[in-house]
Formats: sequence, C-alpha cells, structure tokens
Amino acid sequence: MNVQKLGLVFFPAFDWAISPTHPEREERLLYTRDQIVEEGLLDMPAIREYKPKIAKIQDIERVHVGVPDIASLITNAHLVSAGGAIAAADAVMKKEVQRAFALVRPPGHHAMRIVHGTRGFCTINMEAIMIEYLRKSYGIGKVAIVDTDVHHGDGTQDIFYHDPNTLFISFHQDGRTLYPGTGFTNEMGSPNARGTTLNIPLPPGTTDRGLHEVLDHLIMPILGDFKPDIIINSAGQDNHYSDPLANMAITAQGYARLADTLKADIAVLEGGYSIEDALPYVNVGIVLAMAGMDYSKVIEPNIADCPSQSSSVTHYIKDVIKERQDMWGRKEKLQREAIMKHGEFWQTERSIYYDDEGINEQQKERVRICPHCSGYVIIETKARSSLHYKTAYIGMIPQKACPACLKAAYDVVHTAKKQGSYQHYMVQNKQEDRLEKL
Amino acid sequence: MGFIPGKRGDNMFLGLDVGGTFTDGVVVADEKIVSMVKTPTTKENLLQCILTVVDKMVEDTGSKAFERIALSTTIVTNAIVEDNIDQVGLCIMPGPGMNLNDILPVAPYILSGYIDHRGREMAQPNKEEVLSACRHFSSCDVFVVSGKFAVRNPCFESAVTDWIQEQVSPMHISTGGKVSGSLNFLRRTNSAYYNGAVWRHFNAFATAVEEALKMRGIYSPVFVLKADGGTLPLSVARNYPVEAIFTGPAASTIGIMGMNDDAAVSGISLDIGGTTTDIALWQKGRPLLAKEGAAVDGHVTGVQGFRLKSVGIGGDSLVFWENHVLKVGPMRHGPAMAAGGPKPTVTDAMVAAGFIDFGDRVLAVKAMKLLALQGQSPEEMASQVVDKAVNGICQAIADLLDEQAAEPLYHVEEIIYETKFVLENIIGVGGGAAGLVPLVAKKLGISYTLPENGRVANAFGAAVARSTLDITLRADTAEGYYTVAELGIKNRLPRGKFSLQNAYELAEKHLAELAQRNGIFIGETQIIQSEEFNMVRGFTTVGKIMTCRLQVKPGVLQYGEEELY
Ligand SMILES: [Zn+2]
Ligand SMILES: [Zn+2]
Repeated sequence: MNVQKLGLVFFPAFDWAISPTHPEREERLLYTRDQIVEEGLLDMPAIREYKPKIAKIQDIERVHVGVPDIASLITNAHLVSAGGAIAAADAVMKKEVQRAFALVRPPGHHAMRIVHGTRGFCTINMEAIMIEYLRKSYGIGKVAIVDTDVHHGDGTQDIFYHDPNTLFISFHQDGRTLYPGTGFTNEMGSPNARGTTLNIPLPPGTTDRGLHEVLDHLIMPILGDFKPDIIINSAGQDNHYSDPLANMAITAQGYARLADTLKADIAVLEGGYSIEDALPYVNVGIVLAMAGMDYSKVIEPNIADCPSQSSSVTHYIKDVIKERQDMWGRKEKLQREAIMKHGEFWQTERSIYYDDEGINEQQKERVRICPHCSGYVIIETKARSSLHYKTAYIGMIPQKACPACLKAAYDVVHTAKKQGSYQHYMVQNKQEDRLEKL
Repeated sequence: MGFIPGKRGDNMFLGLDVGGTFTDGVVVADEKIVSMVKTPTTKENLLQCILTVVDKMVEDTGSKAFERIALSTTIVTNAIVEDNIDQVGLCIMPGPGMNLNDILPVAPYILSGYIDHRGREMAQPNKEEVLSACRHFSSCDVFVVSGKFAVRNPCFESAVTDWIQEQVSPMHISTGGKVSGSLNFLRRTNSAYYNGAVWRHFNAFATAVEEALKMRGIYSPVFVLKADGGTLPLSVARNYPVEAIFTGPAASTIGIMGMNDDAAVSGISLDIGGTTTDIALWQKGRPLLAKEGAAVDGHVTGVQGFRLKSVGIGGDSLVFWENHVLKVGPMRHGPAMAAGGPKPTVTDAMVAAGFIDFGDRVLAVKAMKLLALQGQSPEEMASQVVDKAVNGICQAIADLLDEQAAEPLYHVEEIIYETKFVLENIIGVGGGAAGLVPLVAKKLGISYTLPENGRVANAFGAAVARSTLDITLRADTAEGYYTVAELGIKNRLPRGKFSLQNAYELAEKHLAELAQRNGIFIGETQIIQSEEFNMVRGFTTVGKIMTCRLQVKPGVLQYGEEELY
C-alpha cells in the first residue's frame, strides 16, 4: 500500500460558535482554510485529506462523566470534532498515513473528567477521547502527550493525573500570568503516576529560541526516556507573537520546526486566536513540516512585529530546563517518597470554574494508591451556578484495575448512595467500557 | 453575432465528438437526430476527420445552414500528451507559503510582491524584476503570470502583465486569475501554464477549422465544448484553450441529459465505449460536478468538470491471460474478432454468451475457444470474461461512490445530517452499453435505461450543449471592495448595507456582461458555491466576507435559447 506522509482531518466547523463575537466563532479557521486551499496543500501527493467521523457517546463517556449526563452538555460540533481526532487516529493506526493532524474545532484541552459545562472554550477533551479510543480499539499502551498550547492543558492533566502510562508534558505561559492559572512544576501526578505529569511554565516573551531550547534539551530527551508507543501533540497555536489572548513570541517557523522535531504521530488543534495574522501561516507551516515538505518559506507578512527574547527570559528558561531535567532524573525516588507519605489514599480538594456559564464546582477526589494497579478513583462534585445546583458521587475504575479496586469502587459508591446526600451516583467502568448510573 | 432559428431555414445543430479511435457526428433538428456519421479519428491531423464528418452531413441533410457547429475534440489533450506545446515564460508571485519550485510543470521565474488572504497588498511587485524575467524568457512567445491570492485582488497580475506586454509584446499572456477564479494558486498556475503552452497550437487548429468551413461555404458559428459540459464560441475559446481538455466524457454526459428528457433520477450513467467506461454520478436528473479540477499530465488544474471516473474496460478491450490470471483491457488490439478483428475482446464474449447479436457469432465463439482453458467450453469462457468485465465496472462504481462519500465537509450540519448517495437507476450509452449495462444493473440490483441513439450520446451532447460561463464574486465589506477574478476587476462596494442577496445580484450583472461580451445566451444561472462570514474584531462585528460563484447552468439547449440578442 502506498503510505502517504500526512493525513489531514480538516474540520473548520463553519457553522459553530460559542457566541457570535466569541473567539471560538465561525470565522476562526476561515483564513486558515483560505491559505491551505490557496497553497494547494490538499493536492499534494504527500497529504491526504480525511473527513471527520462522528464520535459516539460511548467514546466520550470512556473519558468524561457529565452531570447529569454528557449528551445534554455538548453540541453536534463536539461529536464531529472528537470524531475528527478519531479519524486521524484510525488513519495512522491503519497505516494509511505516517502521521495525522486533526485541524478541528471545537477545542478540548481544558475539559476535565467531570463535566458540568464549558470552561476555557472546551466541553469535552478531544485528545483524551482519542487516546482512550486508541487504547480500546488498538491496544495502545504508553502514550505521551505534548501540549504546545499557550494555556496549561489542565483538562488533559486532570484526566491522566493518576495514569502512569500516559506522560503529559505541557509547556505554557506561566500560570501566574495567564488562564487557567495552573500548570506549575509541583503538579506532577498522583503518587502512583508521580513524574508522568510534567509542566514547563515559561515566562511571557519566550521566542522560538527559548522554545527550541526546551524542546531539544528537555522534552525530546524525556520522550526518548519514556519510550511511548505513540506521541500526541495538543497543537495549540496561541503562543504566536500576534495572539490576542497571550504574551508569547513564537513564529510560524518556530511552530513548524517544533512539529518537525517532535514528529508527533497525531496532532490535534487546540487554541490559537490570531485568526488572520498567525493561524493561516502557522497551520501551513505545521502541515508542511508534518508532511515532510519544505516549510522554510512560510513567513508571516508582519514578522517584523515579533519581539526578540530578553536575556532575563533566556536565563529563566535555562533554570526551568535544569530544574525539570533534575526532577525527571529523580522521579522514581520522588514516587517512592510520595507513596510512603500518603498511605492508602491520595486526596485533593479544589474548586473548578466554568467561565462560560459561571459555574463553580467544588470537587473532592480520592485515589487509591494500589500496589497492583493505578487505583480506583472517587470524585464527589458539587456545582453551583445562578441556575443550577448539581451534585454527583462518582467512582472510576481504570481499564487494568485489580479485582480489589474493581469491587471497592462499587462498594464505596453503593454505600454513598445509601446515605443519599448526592443527586447522582455513577461508576465509570473502563474495564467494561461503560458508564453506569446507580 | 446572433443567429435566429428559422432564419437559416433548417434549425439544425451539428455536434461532433473526436474520440481516441472514432469520431462521431450528429445533426439534431427539432430535438431529433436527422443525420449520424462515424469515421475513424485521424490522429495526426484532426481536421481531416472533422471535415469528413461535416462533408457527409452536408451531403446527408442537403444543407450548409447549420445553426451551430459544436466540436468536442482531443486537440488540446493530444498536444499536451505528445508534448506538442510551446515554451512558456512562467512568472509567479508566490509570497510566503509552500515551495512550488519542483512542483510546477516547468521552472518558474519568481517575482516578489504578494497579496494576502484578505486581498491586501503586502509587498509591491518590482518592475526591474519583471524586466529581468522578460530577458530570462527571451526565447518565449507566450507568457504566463500567476500570483497567490490574485483571485482576491487582481492588481498585481494586471500590473505584471502590462509590464511584460510593454517590454516584449508576446503573442499571448495567460493570467492565473482569469483562467480560474477559484482559490488554489497551484491549480490556477498549472491551468494558466497549460493554457499558454497550448495557445498557439489550438489557435492554429481554430483558424484551420474556420478556413476549411469557409472554403466549403459553411458560415455557421463554431463552438467548442468544455470539460464542464458547456460550450464556448470558438473566438472566445481561442483565449481559453485549456478549457477544451477532457471534453469527451462531458459531451456524452450532456448528451445523456438530453436523451433522458430531464427525468429526475438519481444514480449513475455508464458510457461504455471501445476501450473505456466513463461513470458519472447523477442526482435528481443532473450530473454532479467534481469538487476539484482535472489533472493534466500529472499536474492538477482548475479546469472544472463533472465528477467522473474512467475504467479501462470497453467493448473492444483485449481479453488475455497473464500468469494464469484472466485480464480484460485496458489495451485495444483492433475491433472484436466477430467484426474481423485479430484478438478476443469483451464484445466477442458478449456475443458468444448470447447477450448481444453482433458481427459473426462463429468468429466470436472461435475467439472464446482461443481463450478457453482445457476442458472449458467457449460458453463457459465467455461467461467468465463477461463476469470479469462486469465486476471491473461494478468495482469502479463502488470506488466512485466511496470517493463521493469521503468528500470532506466543513459544516457540522452537513456531517450530522449527511444523506447517503442513492443508486436508483443506470443510464447506459455508448457502443458497449446494450450488452453490459443490463448485467451491471442486475448485479447492483437496480433498474436501467438505454436511451435510443445512446451510441452517439457524445456527439449529441456536443450538438445540444448550452454555452456556459462562470464567475466568482467576493465581497469584503470591512475592506469595502469586491473582486471578480475572471474579469480581473476590483471595485468599491456600493454604499450602504450589502447583503448576500446584493452579492448575488451583483454577480448576475457581471455574468450578464461577460456573456454579452462573449456572445453567449444567458438563460438559467445557478449558484455553485456561496458563503458568508461575519468578521469580528475585538467583540464587534466589523464587516462580512461573502463569496458566490455563479454559473450559466450547463445543460441542454432549450428551443429558442440559441436566439442571441
Ligand atoms: Zn490556548
Ligand atoms: Zn488496584
């Protein structure tokens, strides 16, 4: 079979918007479409365009638990965007193409396991849905996600926080200066998965130079060490110097070279809101790089506006790289210490804000530090908005759960149900690939 | 320019399709075929077979007063395949993006200056560079100018064209935006390149046709068929010869439309000829257009055509064994043995198996005997060959339907509420249709129709095809102007509110102007693409971007339509 280099699932969702003037509106990928079509990229023998599939609710519930249910919280656009990521995954797994890029919207990397609504423009997490689909359909084990959006991929981090088989690396503009205000170096995964969440907060003003230092000296060696079966790129484009929502200074060349170095098996679009000045060029650069073609001539018309990197930023980045390398080298030790310290359960409590509808969620989470599996998880959630008050008590059973964790998860949720202080009781049983309402 | 039915007395339309092997001609009067001629194609000199057909028709009908003579020829395709094309000075303004250097048919001369996706002038072209390009291409008589996003702003292509004109006044300059008005710089550049490369050859042919007809005392206007099934007056086609590639399948598709009396069926048509079967998709009685243009010599172009698939199986396809595997086509070694040919063909199998009555049955059976394995009867062999041919065609139909279903869609609604293509009926035309179409229909479990005179659907299509034109209007209300690429215009938008409806009306007006200029009757028009986006900057709507592509609907001439102004 003739294997083409790049499968491109292009789905600009020209009839979907969060609201008419929202950054996530119909127009977002219009100029990108224009540039891609005008270049003739879709006619290149190295590139094959794919149509998105339509994701099933079961594909989504393999990752998310919607309260009261996921179907009522999403639109058809979400099914197609997730289906776009799935189509990209299928094209790669069936070896029709070497790698694939799902250039789709809506985005998803701020969507966490529990979903009450939309936060950071995201309702469901496209990459996570795709990864669990890959595991279910093709038996993929170790996965590395490299999130190159300017915002911390807090949703993806949340979803894989207890999973030692998923390495989540995110570089982003420092959470002290940007939404969602997380992604610090001390967020490293729960004890059983300590070290497989790796955040790289970068200072505002980071340029291609800083980014490629991080890539060459930190991310690539760690990927080499982790040896994933597959590399996924959460390919946000809002690190661009012209992006209105952030303060970084990456160019189309920087992004294309990133794609060229990373050689992700599958990339999925995330953010990027400089819709005229950045996206057309960044996307063409990424597509060319992923297709193994010459991207050296992809230069933004207003490249003169790109600032250069200050020496303080350069020094800061050097320090971050050093500290993160150091952590990665000590991660087994850190894990042993964390397991010793926490005993049978690791727990956390936090509030999560859904900016779109003004929902405040209080979440209590408990994961069993099991010596035989990654451990079952219990989440208690209470979400309040001006319109609703929704609560749920949820058990989550990993795909490779041990018999003890499997049983315990059900027991715990049943016991809670008897007490009856929540509206909904659910068990996400990944072993049986179903979400049960008790 | 105009001609009025009845004035010449006979209301006769002459259509002619030059195929790879045979040239067919028909004369249609009052929707009926009154003359039909077939002659071998004289590949070295196409004019010869064209004139043979015309002469026979004059003899047949006793008239020289045809309302119109429409030609579907392989003149352009042959010129390209045989490399009978001119050296072209290809000048491009690619701006930032993909590196096209090794992708275009010939090495381009790269000029600076470029337009961005909104049609804004980001860097000016440089006259000195254009002059060096002229020196670089000093041996070229034909130039091509193509700029990225020229369809959003034709000014740079025009300026460079003027400079070249001023400096070297070449015989011809093709510009990308005028040859194709759609986005896709690569395709426009390739289209314009081939347009320029075949320009001289085509014009010599056009002149020869006109002179030969004049010498015979035939003064009917000559039209040329395009790949989209429309016709262009020869005088207009002289500047757009690339439009005349792959017209054969388009001619027969229009012919089917005419023979099918506009029955609103959905399904496929099969034009089964000597060596190929052309498959088209039909929805509610109309053939579907291809999303993208045709490829020429491995290079994609913007030349619009129908959604077609060709498979190398036809009546004269050679049947043979290769490494113990039975093969059907794609080559032809003369006619069927039943008709005195040298080797077994699909037609021989059809005759031997009793599906059709043609030529000498004894010879057809002999052909099958030649092929049959030990212990296999000629009838068994014949049915094996027929199965093989039918399966090959069915596979190609399945592939075409898969391609149609895989066509990317960019709206949520289109994907969620997508309707599957429904196969209801097969319309079969061409020499091999009578035998094979019933078998294909049976295998697919659907009905079929075989129009009378389906053998000459191609020439019939040429005879009755309407003239077509299309333009692309794009309005950017934030920038305050609109462009029509095919006309090379960029105008300010009228003051006040401008809606998509206004854009349609403006497009209608420009299409009518162009039609008048080209001497084309403008009947029914159709919008083949339209979109509208709100532009929001900083939470306020600052304007709209609208695109509409309007076309004189291809199809069959209606009575009186040939009446021009
Ligand atoms: Zn982002
Ligand atoms: Zn366990």
